[in-house]
Amino acid sequence: MSETKKKFVITRFDPEKDESPRTQEYEIPVQGDWKVLDAINYIKDEVDPSVCHRWSCRMAVCGSCGMMVDGEPKLTCKTSLAEYGDTVVVEPLANFPIVRDLVVELEGFMEKFKRVKPWVVRAKEQAAEKSGGGTYAQSPEELAEFKKFSMCINCMLCYAACPVVANEGEFLGPAAIALGHRYNLDSRDEGESERNEIFRGEGTIYSCSFAHECSEVCPKNVDPAAAINQAKFSALIDWAQNLVLPKGRAGGA
Amino acid sequence: MAGPSHPDAMAPSRPGPTRTAPPQMPASWWSAPRIRTYLLFDATGLVYLLLGFVALEVVWALGAGPEAWDAMLASLRNPLVVAFHALGLASVIFVGVRFFSFFPKAQPPRIGPMKPPPAPVILGGLYVAWIGLTVLFAAILAGGIF
Repeated sequence: MSETKKKFVITRFDPEKDESPRTQEYEIPVQGDWKVLDAINYIKDEVDPSVCHRWSCRMAVCGSCGMMVDGEPKLTCKTSLAEYGDTVVVEPLANFPIVRDLVVELEGFMEKFKRVKPWVVRAKEQAAEKSGGGTYAQSPEELAEFKKFSMCINCMLCYAACPVVANEGEFLGPAAIALGHRYNLDSRDEGESERNEIFRGEGTIYSCSFAHECSEVCPKNVDPAAAINQAKFSALIDWAQNLVLPKGRAGGA
Repeated sequence: MAGPSHPDAMAPSRPGPTRTAPPQMPASWWSAPRIRTYLLFDATGLVYLLLGFVALEVVWALGAGPEAWDAMLASLRNPLVVAFHALGLASVIFVGVRFFSFFPKAQPPRIGPMKPPPAPVILGGLYVAWIGLTVLFAAILAGGIF
């Protein structure tokens, strides 16, 4: 493999020493088939062990290694270094509080996730004998309706790319809404009205201005922008149905 | 990084044990071609706001008598005003095309038992409705109908 040199400008922030984030430059030899993550790992292993970053699987599955590369959110294990010039700027994900160097605070993201009830909500569990041994049967067609939205790996690139997240602190954000919508589309779920109530609140689906950046940067083609705007339709229809036929009367009860 | 994001962006409801640096946006966020298209899309709102003021002025002139109405018509022939309306037309077409291009993917997979038609059919319907209504209103305004 051919070996050349590249300069990396990396964000550094030590909460015990630094008032605010700064940058540090590293010039290292790189190989033609390296991903951006390989270069950061090289810096940590061979040049400066104090550099702090997250990574795990190296195969675009765990979603840990999201960073800003030359200003764009990227999964660094999936991003080839060959796409970049002699100088590569690596920063922590935009729009997230910075814990240290390239590591961002995840707790706010996890809180947003919990709000959309990302699990199958059932009014009452089916008896095992009625549901075929305790499982809920689902046809391939029913699975196809939400499968795309279930491929999210929680890498948070969509939050780093979203202009609404950058300007509206409360915004629930692309991945959380896409996940909530994924459960709303799931034939086994009965929690759509509960989630739509959340979706109709402040800082949720109607804050989205369809910039489409989330879908552009998504490494798994989840298309959160589609999910959010489908959720807008569904929440509106749900609201209109409740207006005509208030809850409790549905089904002629 | 350049500018700060919203100070509460992605912040937990209770601060963690470690001090964090506030969230930031990349220096080049506005220069990416995709974002520039989005900013242009948002900026067309200013054109519509100004067009709204023009429409209000036209309504006011209509109620203020024949002289005010004639003066209004004369001002609408001003090349600058014509150019502004051309900008308004370009803005509407730009926003319409962008909105239509995203519209099919915003359709839920089903509403009750009904499934939306394929994307090309939705797109075709939108353009037929848009062009059809434009022709209809142009015909009404030109006196061809009524």
